[in-house]
Amino acid sequence: MMIPSLGFLPLLGLMNAYWFAPPLILVISLVYAASRHEAWPLIFRHATRLFLMIAGILAVVTVILLVINTQV
Amino acid sequence: MDHPTTATDVPLKNRSLAALLALTWPGLGHLYQGRNAKGLLYFVCIFGLYAVGFALGEGANVYWTWVNPLRNPEHFRLYYLGQFWVGLPAWPALIQATLIHQGYQPLFNGFMAAPMLDPTMDNGVREVMQEVVRRVFSLHQKYGGLKEIGDIYTTIAGLLNVLAIYDAFEGPAVRSGPTSSAEAPSTTTTEAESA
Repeated sequence: MMIPSLGFLPLLGLMNAYWFAPPLILVISLVYAASRHEAWPLIFRHATRLFLMIAGILAVVTVILLVINTQV
Repeated sequence: MDHPTTATDVPLKNRSLAALLALTWPGLGHLYQGRNAKGLLYFVCIFGLYAVGFALGEGANVYWTWVNPLRNPEHFRLYYLGQFWVGLPAWPALIQATLIHQGYQPLFNGFMAAPMLDPTMDNGVREVMQEVVRRVFSLHQKYGGLKEIGDIYTTIAGLLNVLAIYDAFEGPAVRSGPTSSAEAPSTTTTEAESA
């Protein structure tokens, strides 16, 4: 038995894989920040900072790899 | 010397039990401790990520096999080492793997069973497992790489729950001390005076 096939899965299959990264980064940032602090303002501040840092690093690495790929 | 203030404010109760509950279901340990909002955050984030990943793989991306990784590395399920930590939602895979390993037919038509065929399997077990293998391989044709994204989502959800378990056991990692913030301005004043 598998779980029933979801109607929107074929549409998700057409999406670029990069679109699956932001929700993942958001969850990682929130959970990590929540494990570090107890006060909500601190959690949200830390999570925002971490989200921007991870997304920024990924974006920079992606751009660098794309630039290198266009040169070869 | 800094005295942890946050730590005493956080009601950890029986922290071993809280950690066990957090391992059993994401956020459950925090609900037991009365840290309801944080428990809800962990539940939504960790279980939500796991559920989305599970759905992306149509439930065929969380499974375990009792094989020796050195002798049979292609059938060893490395992802499950992360997925396991989500708790109960991932543990049926252990039961299915154990049943198949012992030669019994897996439950629920092979739900969360490894897509593996073994020549030594009984006919009944083989029939169920052939269907599981067929479904898993058809996923690639239908949805491309969604199953792999589901693998990553479910694995990271499990690894994030390790952080939640640690938080339930030990409290938040950063503990603000009352003296540390008070010391900073006085040091600056002293330096300004000496200058």
